[in-house]
Amino acid sequence: MLELKNIKKSYDGATILKNIDLTISDGEIVSILGPSGCGKTTLLNLILGLTEADSGKIIFDGQDIKNVPMEKRGFNIVFQDYALFPNLNVMQNITYGLKNTPNISTQEEVNELIELLGLKPHLNKKIDRLSGGQKQRVALARTMVMKPKILLLDEPLSALDGVIKESIKEKIKQIARDYHLTTIIVTHDPEEALTLSDKVLIVNDGSISQYGAPEEIITTPQNAFIKEFILNQLEIKRNNIFALFHQEIMAQAV
Amino acid sequence: MVVRKEKEIKVIYAVTILLFAAFLAVPIIRLLGESFVLDTGWGVGNYADVLTGKGFAEAFGNSIVISMTSAVISTVLAFFLAYSIQYTNLGAKYKKLIRLLAVLPMLLPTITYGFAIIYSFGKQGLLTKLMGTQLFDIYGFGGLLFGYVIYTLPISFLLILNTMGYIDKKFMVVSRVMGDNGVTTFFQTVFRPLLGTLAASIVQCFFLCFTDYGIPASVGGKYDVVATVLYNEMLGSIPDFQQGAVVAMLMLVPSVISIVLLRYLERYNIRYNKISTIELQKNPLRDWFCGIISGIILLVLVSIFLVIFVVPFVEEWPYQTSFTLEHLQAVLNDNSLTMVYRNSIFVAVLTAVLGLLITYGAALVTARSSMKHRWKGIINSIALITNTIPGMVIGIAYMLIFSGTPLQNTFWLMIFCNVVHFFSTPYLMMKNSLEKLNSSWETTASLMGDTWMKTIVRIVTPNMKSTILEVFSYYFVNAMVTVSAVIFIAGARTMVLTTKIKELQYYTKFNEVFVLSLFILGTNLIVKGILGYVIKRENKKKEKEQ
Repeated sequence: MLELKNIKKSYDGATILKNIDLTISDGEIVSILGPSGCGKTTLLNLILGLTEADSGKIIFDGQDIKNVPMEKRGFNIVFQDYALFPNLNVMQNITYGLKNTPNISTQEEVNELIELLGLKPHLNKKIDRLSGGQKQRVALARTMVMKPKILLLDEPLSALDGVIKESIKEKIKQIARDYHLTTIIVTHDPEEALTLSDKVLIVNDGSISQYGAPEEIITTPQNAFIKEFILNQLEIKRNNIFALFHQEIMAQAV
Repeated sequence: MVVRKEKEIKVIYAVTILLFAAFLAVPIIRLLGESFVLDTGWGVGNYADVLTGKGFAEAFGNSIVISMTSAVISTVLAFFLAYSIQYTNLGAKYKKLIRLLAVLPMLLPTITYGFAIIYSFGKQGLLTKLMGTQLFDIYGFGGLLFGYVIYTLPISFLLILNTMGYIDKKFMVVSRVMGDNGVTTFFQTVFRPLLGTLAASIVQCFFLCFTDYGIPASVGGKYDVVATVLYNEMLGSIPDFQQGAVVAMLMLVPSVISIVLLRYLERYNIRYNKISTIELQKNPLRDWFCGIISGIILLVLVSIFLVIFVVPFVEEWPYQTSFTLEHLQAVLNDNSLTMVYRNSIFVAVLTAVLGLLITYGAALVTARSSMKHRWKGIINSIALITNTIPGMVIGIAYMLIFSGTPLQNTFWLMIFCNVVHFFSTPYLMMKNSLEKLNSSWETTASLMGDTWMKTIVRIVTPNMKSTILEVFSYYFVNAMVTVSAVIFIAGARTMVLTTKIKELQYYTKFNEVFVLSLFILGTNLIVKGILGYVIKRENKKKEKEQ
């Protein structure tokens, strides 16, 4: 269980995050949703350990880890641009961490991940030869080899298009389920957040706007921001889609 | 990001700062101090003496006039060459030739240009013979002008060519369809976007001419410039270190102004969001015109260097012109000369290795660490300062401060001198490349259990290969051709090729001068050729992958 208690963070006097209280249960997928500049990436970096909070507590499994350095926390991240190493091929990227800690995953476990993410045909390819979706899957595999206690994903879908997006979504869900892995995802897209996660944390202007399951957010939005920016956006999308399919629906009706 | 301790970065930072404190700050401050030392104590008396002495004022004026003239001519010629490459439909092979020949002079020491001019345009010169008449007086203004233009043409050319590559040519189409005539289109879409760079080129060339010693050393004649005055004050028949220090400080003034101007001119550079390639309009007249003018410029350039290949291979220029390998043999059999060659290689290789380490370390601090801006700013200032300080000034400062220490006349001193003197450009090359690399690599790798050093070795360095080779090649070639600083710190047993050439000039042994120059040219061509090939292959590999 991950708990954040009264976290505050500011840069050069400008407050980025304040009064952040949050509990995430084991195996949950949580999306952090908000407009750009709302502080969601900073929140992700705080959990990862890349950024230090000014005050407050970060408690993981009963221990305050606020002062534990990033590499000792045992969490791991897939960055938006994947940060794959272009001088190494797919297999070398996936097994990168094994060079430092050889026993963290067995060969079978690695193979299982490769199988799960459908990377077998690409293992000897150079990184620059891969498509966006393939890169994302390699990055996921590389991170999963490290058996993170929490998996952090920074805008995992924003660089992908259409069908690929949906398939990666499924993979993320599957990984979280199969490995009972707490997964925290940063996104700016309401549709993504609400369809991918068990819980959604909506951040606006440095503080929590609402935190709850997708249904709760849809049925009982707690403030104007959520109504106007989150729900409104979804409604426009829904109407557009309905309009597109309208003729088809009419045709079927006849 | 306080969490990552970055101990290694702090160590690198400390080493870099210490190096520049010891080999830049302290020597220059010492030099400044020296300029105020009087027989009777301290004061500005030396400055008064130098400034009122009639020799200096005249030399200073000469320096300004000749440097300015050369800078303007060089920039105009370089513009022509760059324009021919970027804006004409000349053949790809011809363009490649222009590119190659225009930068050739960079591979030779400036002192060689002077001798090449003497042997081309002098009374007994190769070109004088061919044309039957001496075109101009080579000693003094004419010779200096010729030398400086050759010296600065490659730098100006590369600068202009680079900016031209970043001009969006689509604007030419826009201008034409809006009804502009050819001249207006040229001024609006080529000249105007280049204005900042053209001015920068003039300033840069001016700075180079003003501070070069090699060319006036060979063809200066009675036309005194600041560099010759400085040399004579320090190493002439009646050395006066205090007055020399004053001249060195005064030489800094135009240098500092140049750099300030360059920084200011940067703002005038127009940045296009996107570079689109368009098919250039068919215009055979333009192509022929540019092709011929470029051809003439390069022909003159090549013809001057022709003598370097001719003179050492004939019996006795200009009286017995039959082919012989005698002079080459003599040099090869002369142990003292082959030793000098080995010295040069040693100094150049170590300069390149050490320079590589220092620039890489410094750039890692500024481009890939979370160190405070203030601290990073110091390294960026060092880069700016090293760009401002002429080699002669560094050399003289070293001469003053390291005389009597175990470092005096050692190779190490020359190596440090080169590393410091040429720091600016390779540092910026490193910094730019490092900044382009994905910023999350270190975090990702550290989450995979890497130490910082491991990540640098496993990930960052393999992705920096081509820049590393470019920096190596830059330092190597410059260490091979530099004369202005090392002339003051080379000892009898630590001679390098360029200082030896200066010594051979004194004994009028010009066959040896040209043979050694050929050695320098050959070595640089080989090193540049090999490294250039590897770099090209690396870049192609990268391109293919994308």
